[in-house]
Amino acid sequence: MPPSDPSADNDELVRSRAAVRRTYEDIGDHFSKTREYAWPEVESFVDESSSARTALDVGCGNGRHAELLTEVADRVVGLDASRALLQAATDRVGDSVALLQGDATRLPLAAGSVDLAVYVATLHHLPSRSARRASLDELARVLAPGARALVSAWSTAHDRFDADPDADAGFDTTVDWTLPGGETVPRFYHIYAPAEFERDVADSDLRLVSMELSSGNCYGVVEPEGKRT
Amino acid sequence: MKEDLMEIICCPLDKHDLDLEVTERDDGEILSGELVCTECSETFPIEDGIPNLLPPDMRDEAPA
Repeated sequence: MPPSDPSADNDELVRSRAAVRRTYEDIGDHFSKTREYAWPEVESFVDESSSARTALDVGCGNGRHAELLTEVADRVVGLDASRALLQAATDRVGDSVALLQGDATRLPLAAGSVDLAVYVATLHHLPSRSARRASLDELARVLAPGARALVSAWSTAHDRFDADPDADAGFDTTVDWTLPGGETVPRFYHIYAPAEFERDVADSDLRLVSMELSSGNCYGVVEPEGKRT
Repeated sequence: MKEDLMEIICCPLDKHDLDLEVTERDDGEILSGELVCTECSETFPIEDGIPNLLPPDMRDEAPA
């Protein structure tokens, strides 16, 4: 049945996985220029990590965090759905990071092949709980026994949102990106309630080792559940 | 991509091994080619040195 409400139609488009990817294709070059520096929370996680054979950045964007992983891993893989962002990453880290275009919910990596990972500010772009859960399970699958990953998502605790951080569930929203010419592109987000983030991780094949709220984001250190070293 | 990546990449759909077909190579870097799933035969292009391992339902639609 065709939707009669244009905003509902647009809502469907924004929510689809392909639409999320196309959004980043449209804004990729400009977006990359505004994402120059690594986040301190990611720097701390990497600083505290043991050295690794293979490290992975899921949703690597322009490579700013994959760059950190090169300091502690023999081999770093950066995965992103957007070729525009991967092209920006090629300029920045192409010599030291293996770049792959791929989907965070269906990782093209063998089970247990990753010793260290970061999954920063990407989970919240997956437009359904089932997609978010699938990606957490996929992360668990590719992590070797004893491997650790840092997962982050935007949280209701952020000042920008007028939401109760103790609530059980977060909410979906779109946040516009303004291109240099003034055109705006809507970007889908699921804003996580902290309790909900813990619950999604607990329900997945990952185990939450520790969690903190920092700069309005949930940061969880996770490991694959049930895989013994 | 470098050939040693074949050790860890796999088909995103069924996680089986991929066969590598190289079209263009420069030094140690594979610039273009194809990755073919040994199980489901789905093919994934390598362009500008970056493998596109997006599942088919997330690829660009063909131009009209």
